[in-house]
Amino acid sequence: MKPRSLLSQSPTTSLKLTTGCETLDACLHGGFPCDSLTEIVAESGCGKTQLCLQLSLCAQLPISNGGLDGSALYLHSEFPFPFRRLHQLSRSFHLSNPSIYADHNDNPCDHVFIQNVHNVDHLFDVMSKIESFVKNSKTRLPLKLIVLDSVAALFRSEFENTPSDLRKRASCFFKISGKLKQLANKFGLAVVITNQVTDFVESSDGLSGLRIGNLRCLYSSGRRVVPALGLAWANCVNSRVFISRSDDSICQERREDDERSGSSYVSRRARRRFDIVFSPYLPASSCEFVITGEGICGVR
Amino acid sequence: METSRLPLSSSIRGKLISAGYTSLSSISSVSSTDLARDVKITESEAFEILKMANQISGSSSCNGRSSSLVNGARNAWDMLNEEEALPRITTSCSDLDKILGGGISCRDVTEIGGVPGIGKTQIGIQLSVNVQIPREFGGLGGKAIYIDTEGSFMVERALQIAQACVEDMEEYTGYMHKHFKASQVQMKPRDILENIFYFRVCSYTEQIALVNHLDKFISENKDVKVVIVDSITFHFRQDFDDLAQRTRVLSEMALKFMKLAKKFSLAVVLLNQVTTKYTEGSFQLALALGDSWSHSCTNRVILYWNGDERYAYIDKSPSLPSASASYTVTGRGLRNSSSSSKRVKMM
Repeated sequence: MKPRSLLSQSPTTSLKLTTGCETLDACLHGGFPCDSLTEIVAESGCGKTQLCLQLSLCAQLPISNGGLDGSALYLHSEFPFPFRRLHQLSRSFHLSNPSIYADHNDNPCDHVFIQNVHNVDHLFDVMSKIESFVKNSKTRLPLKLIVLDSVAALFRSEFENTPSDLRKRASCFFKISGKLKQLANKFGLAVVITNQVTDFVESSDGLSGLRIGNLRCLYSSGRRVVPALGLAWANCVNSRVFISRSDDSICQERREDDERSGSSYVSRRARRRFDIVFSPYLPASSCEFVITGEGICGVR
Repeated sequence: METSRLPLSSSIRGKLISAGYTSLSSISSVSSTDLARDVKITESEAFEILKMANQISGSSSCNGRSSSLVNGARNAWDMLNEEEALPRITTSCSDLDKILGGGISCRDVTEIGGVPGIGKTQIGIQLSVNVQIPREFGGLGGKAIYIDTEGSFMVERALQIAQACVEDMEEYTGYMHKHFKASQVQMKPRDILENIFYFRVCSYTEQIALVNHLDKFISENKDVKVVIVDSITFHFRQDFDDLAQRTRVLSEMALKFMKLAKKFSLAVVLLNQVTTKYTEGSFQLALALGDSWSHSCTNRVILYWNGDERYAYIDKSPSLPSASASYTVTGRGLRNSSSSSKRVKMM
């Protein structure tokens, strides 16, 4: 067994996948890292899936532009999959990056592989096939990103609240995380996992309010929340980011005139906040963004 | 001392060596009946050999006045002197060093555990950089082995910490030479990264194989002075159908680490996760891997949040009093926390 030389990459930084938004990239010091599991925790409707769709497209950018020159595997456990939104984003992505697809006459959607997962056993099944998928695939771009959206939905119905079931659930977490990290290490993949939140309920042992990371409390839409799946899952990921929305931070009311119908309407976009909860290399920081037709857009 | 140097007849010497008694300590730990049976000599001959062996070992001990009843034992005075002379690895946070008795001690296995995001990997990286501080700056001038089981080690973070370490050394030379200007230090951040032997393990079998291989690796790289495992737990929390087997595997691993620490006089730092333990009808926080694992380490440090501050607490140690100290994680690595409240609390 030989040690890996730390100076083998130059510059000595790990490869990062850009989010497509400069503000988020600045928070993340370049983007989501490869060979690492990053978790996005957010309430429903905050933009986890939007960010994941955007990442699946950005993975196709060349490395010099912050991409990974690769394709993405999108494992989704929540239904329905937002196909129309993916097509919308893909169209604007294609328009802004024609050079990647010009020579081969394909389009960004060709490099996003979508697989649904119903439950934990199905996920193990799919993961065992990923390795052969990567090795034998004849696709133009190699697999470089795996998205799991979301991990919480997989565990929603199968496990009771008894200690033995919780133990079994915890060992599933470590198995999933171990397998994904092994794949990430072997093929240099970036792995992004989304997670949901549950309402904070004070318990007698004080463990539900256990502080994990830079934020003492997590608030979203005015209520205090905790990431789902508990302490055991928190030990399984390398980094955690938290996206929240607050009802009162509504940005820019823009009067947009609809040319066809001649009426004008006001579009409101709720601001989202992006926080680094914990990470092995990032200081605590946060930024804000909105979701537009073209994707995620940072706000100064 | 070798058996071949004993004043015995060559046939007896040959029989002793072929039976496996190649060193003096192996002879003196056996009774004359067993020795006679093993080597196929008469009991009186065996007795003579043992008497001779004891005489010789008695006269060759270091200062001549220790007459060890059991060969291989040392007296406590020698051990105290040895222990006090052992260098310690600084954590770059003087409050933390204070409660640790000066830093992480060599020849010991120290376990450090805490919730995610509290700074375990940061301490690991800081130690693997600080062990390399040259002797003229008060360090060990050694190298580090970093066993990464989780993939949390980021090279750019290690580089950042290494750069800060070099800058601190440059500033210190200014003070040492009394011209108060930072001057060039021989060590460069890239050299520091080169001296960290980084291993990535992706399964528990790889982890066990690597630990078994460490003895050979360190024999070939004698200047390794710290072995950090980040984290010891991760691969063992998957389903091990037989928990008894897991306990056995873990205790064997712990034993190997202890032997490595003693044999090569290096520090072993094992980073651990926390879990909730169901005791007495409620859930409580505890370090992972169970009760039997808690006996496997010499020292145990628990990291926790207290308000907005990070604290370290000595949970178990044969020589250090229970105390807690606060620390922060900065861009330059681990440092003292800047709050004005009392930072070190003795229990």
